Amino acid sequence: MEIEADAISVRFGAVALFEGVDFAMRAGEMVGLIGPNGAGKTTLLRVLASLRAPEGGRVRYRGRSAAELGRRELARRLAYLAQDASVHWPMRVDALVALGRLPHRRPFQGVTAADRDAIEQAMAATAIMSLRSRTLAQVSSGERMRVLLARALAVDARVMLADEPIAALDPLHQLQVMQLLRAIAGEDRGVIVVLHDLALAMRFCDRLVLLARGGILAQGAPARVLTDDNLAQAYGVEVVRGERDGIPFLLPWKPSGQGEGGA
Amino acid sequence: MTTTRVLGFLVFAAGALLLTNPSLGAGDPAPTPRRVVSLNLCADELVLRLAQPQNVASVTWLSRDRRNSNVAEIAAGIPINHGRAEEIIALKPDLVIAGAYGAPATVAMLKRAGIPLHVLGVPNSLTDVRNQIKEIADLVGEHDRGEAVIGDMDRSLAAVVLPAASARPRAAVLNPNGMTMAKGTLLDDIMTRAGLTNVAAELAIDKYGQVPLETIVTEDPDVLILSASRDGPPALATDILRHPVLTALAGRTRLVVLPGRLWNCGGPAVVEAIERLRRVAAEAGGAEAPR
Amino acid sequence: MMPAAALEPAEHAWAPPHALLLVCLSLLVLVLWCISLATGYAPLDLAQALSDIANGNKTLGALVLVELRLPRALLGCFVGFSLGITGAGMQGLLRNPLAEPGIIGVSGAAAFGAVAIFYFGLAGAFALALPLGGIAGAAAATVLLYGLAGRGAGTMTLILAGVAINSFAAALTALALNLSPNPYAVTEIVFWLLGSLADRSLPYVWLVLPLMLLGWGLLILSGPALDALTLGEDTAQSLGFDLARLRLQLVAGTALAVGSAVAVTGTIAFVGLVMPHLLRPLVAHRPGRLLLVSGLGGAALTLAADIGVRILPIRPELKLGVVTAIIGAPFLFGLIYRLREEA
Repeated sequence: MEIEADAISVRFGAVALFEGVDFAMRAGEMVGLIGPNGAGKTTLLRVLASLRAPEGGRVRYRGRSAAELGRRELARRLAYLAQDASVHWPMRVDALVALGRLPHRRPFQGVTAADRDAIEQAMAATAIMSLRSRTLAQVSSGERMRVLLARALAVDARVMLADEPIAALDPLHQLQVMQLLRAIAGEDRGVIVVLHDLALAMRFCDRLVLLARGGILAQGAPARVLTDDNLAQAYGVEVVRGERDGIPFLLPWKPSGQGEGGA
Repeated sequence: MTTTRVLGFLVFAAGALLLTNPSLGAGDPAPTPRRVVSLNLCADELVLRLAQPQNVASVTWLSRDRRNSNVAEIAAGIPINHGRAEEIIALKPDLVIAGAYGAPATVAMLKRAGIPLHVLGVPNSLTDVRNQIKEIADLVGEHDRGEAVIGDMDRSLAAVVLPAASARPRAAVLNPNGMTMAKGTLLDDIMTRAGLTNVAAELAIDKYGQVPLETIVTEDPDVLILSASRDGPPALATDILRHPVLTALAGRTRLVVLPGRLWNCGGPAVVEAIERLRRVAAEAGGAEAPR
Repeated sequence: MMPAAALEPAEHAWAPPHALLLVCLSLLVLVLWCISLATGYAPLDLAQALSDIANGNKTLGALVLVELRLPRALLGCFVGFSLGITGAGMQGLLRNPLAEPGIIGVSGAAAFGAVAIFYFGLAGAFALALPLGGIAGAAAATVLLYGLAGRGAGTMTLILAGVAINSFAAALTALALNLSPNPYAVTEIVFWLLGSLADRSLPYVWLVLPLMLLGWGLLILSGPALDALTLGEDTAQSLGFDLARLRLQLVAGTALAVGSAVAVTGTIAFVGLVMPHLLRPLVAHRPGRLLLVSGLGGAALTLAADIGVRILPIRPELKLGVVTAIIGAPFLFGLIYRLREEA
C-alpha cells in the first residue's frame, strides 16, 4: 500500500470539513479525487502529502508515518503538484524543472548525470523541450502548467499527487497530460489526481473517490461511483451517458431537480 | 586670605561711597550688582571667584560638576539654574552674564525683559584671559580683587621657564570628533607658553578644525594632548580618543590627558594647564622640569 | 516519450557561467579592497609600508596601514557583503523585490539595539555586548516583520510594516541618544542613521567577524530552500524543506549579519536593495545563487562608496549612507516604476 489513510478528519476551528475518510492506494493505480467545490479535495490531497496535519486519523506510506520516514525520504517518494501555478521569480524553464531534483541532491552537490536524465525525460514527456531556455514570463498558461508538471515528474517519485493539473490546458494537452499520468501509473507508480472533469475522470482513472457532504460519498470503480444518484447528491446535476469503442462516457447535462420543460 | 578680605571690604566701602556720592565716581557710574546670575560655565567660574557670595543669585548647574568645573566647592552653596528664561526672570537679576554661544532665544528674551545682560566672549589667548578677569571683576564691582587674581596668575607663570627654541617639542591636540586647536585659540597659546610647538600650525587650520587620525599619526608629534572627556561616558566622539593607533604610538609619542576645565575657560586654572604641559614638554625634550 | 539521445545536448543552465561570475566578482572586490587601502588622508608609500610590515618594522606608515586603513577596508568588505547577502535572503524569503534590511526596518532596529548598549556603558563591560545588542534589535524587527507581513502578504503590507518599524526604531534611537550621559551623543544620530566606516579599529573587526560568518553560513545554506520557495510554500515543503526551520534560519542569519554590521558602522541603506536587483539577471533569477553573488556585489559597492567619500573634496567626510542613498534612491524610483508597469 503506497499510501494508506485511516479515519482522517479535518476541522477549521469548530467547523468540520470532512470526517471518517479512509483511503488507500497501491502502486499501479490512478485514483481520481472528485467532488463539488468546497468539499475538501485539495485539503485531503495536502493531508495525503503530509503538507497538513489532520485533526484526526493518520497517514502511512508503505506502513510508515511521515515522521518515521523523514522529510527527505518523503520528498523523494512523493511529488506534489499544487493547484496554484504561481512562480515567484522568472527563472528559466529548465532551471525550474531541475528544482524537482532537489530532494535527491546533497547540499553543495552539483547536478549529477542521473539528475540530468530525469530532467530531460520529464521535459520530453511534457513536450516542453523547445521551451527550455525561455523564462516563465515568456510561455503561455498552458505551457506553464506543463512546465510545472515536468518539475513534478523530474522528482521521479513513487507517488504523484496532482491538484487540478489540466484546468488551464486546451483539449489536446488535457488528453496528453491524462495519458501521461496514466502511463506513469502504469510504471508501477501511484497517481492521485484531483479533477473536475468527470468525463476524463471516468475515462482515465482506475478508481474514483467521491468526496462530498463531509465525507466519502462513494469510492471504487468509476461505473460504481458515478451513478445518477451519487451525482445528484454530490453535484446536483443530471448527466447524459454514451459509449464509444466500448468505453463509457458521460456529460453533465442539467442541474438535477429542474423540470423537463427547462433548457 | 585676610589681605583679600580687607581689600574686599575697602572695595565695598569705596563702592558704597560711590553709590551715595555719585560725584565721587571715577567714571564708573554703575552700582555693584546685588543679584548676579551667570548662564555660562566660564562666567560661573569668574563670577564665583570674583564676586561676593551674597551678590551671586545663581550660577549654572554645570559649575557643581567636579569633573568639568574648577569652582565646584564654591558653587556648592550657591543656587543653581538650568539656563531657562523663565527661571532667570523669576530671580529678578540686576546683571546676567551669558556666554557667546548660549541659547539665542533665551538671551533675546532676557533682553526684551529689559534685564541688564553682558555677553562673555570666548578667550583666545592668555591676554584675553587677563582681560576677561578684569572685565568680570569690574562688572561685579570687585576691581581690586580682579587685579589680585591676575597678579597671582602672573607670578605663577613667571616661574614657568621656557626652554630654548631648539628644545621645543612638537605637540598635537586631539579633542572629541577629531577636532584640533590651532593658532588663535587659548589652548594654542597655553601650549606655546608651555614650550610646545603646535603641529596644527603646519596644517593650515584656522582656530578649530578636524584632523584625520592618519594625519595625526604621520605628523609624528612628540606629545599628543588628549581631551579628558575620553574617560567619561561613551560616545563615538570620545571613542576616537581611545583608538588603538594612539596606543600604538606609545614608544615615540607621549600621551597626556588634559581636562577641559583647565583650558576651556579663561581663569586662573590655565596656569595649571601650562605647568602640566611644561612638565611633559621637559620630559619629551629631555630638559629638566623647572619645578 | 522520445529517448534522451535524440534530443539537443542539454544546456548547462547551472554550470560554469556561475563560477565565472563568482570569480569576476571576487576579483572586483579584491581590487577595490586594494584601492581602499591605498586611499586615505595622509600621504602613504604603500610599498614601503607593506615591506615594513613584512619586516616587522613599526614605522608610522605601517601603523597607519594596519591600524587605520586595514580595518576600514576589511569592514567595507564584510559589512557590504552582509548587506548584500541579507538583501537577497530577505527578498527570497518574502518573495518580494522590495525587501531589504533597510527598507523593512531591520537595520533601524539593529541601530537602536546597538545604541542602547553602547551609550549606557554596557559595551565596556563585555565587548560582545555591542554586536549582540545590534543582533537582538535586528532579530526583533525580523520576527515582528514576519508576523506582520510574512506568508505572501502583498508589497503594500510589507512596506507599511517596514515604515512602522523604521519610524519606531528611529524614535527610540533618538530617545536613547538624548537620554545618554554623554553630551556628544545627541548629534551622533547622524552616524547611526547614515553609517560610516571612519576611524573604526581592528578590535571591532575581529569582534564582529565570527558573528557575521555564522550569519553568512546560515544564509548560504538556505539557498536550495529559497530556490524551492519560488514554486510556493506547499511545493517547497513537498520538496522536503522545513519551512519553519527555513524562516528561523533566515531570521537568525539576517539578524547575525546585519545586527553586527550595523552595531559597528551604523545603518547603510540601499546596498541590500540595489545589489540583488542588479545581479539577479546574472544568476538567471535563481534566488539560491543570488545570495553569494549579491554578497560580493554588496562588498564591492560599499568599498567603492567608501573610497568615494575619501576622494570627494567634501570635509568633514560624508557619511557613507549619503553616497549609497544617492545611488540607491533613483534605483528605487526606477524599480517602483517598473513594478507599476507590471501591475
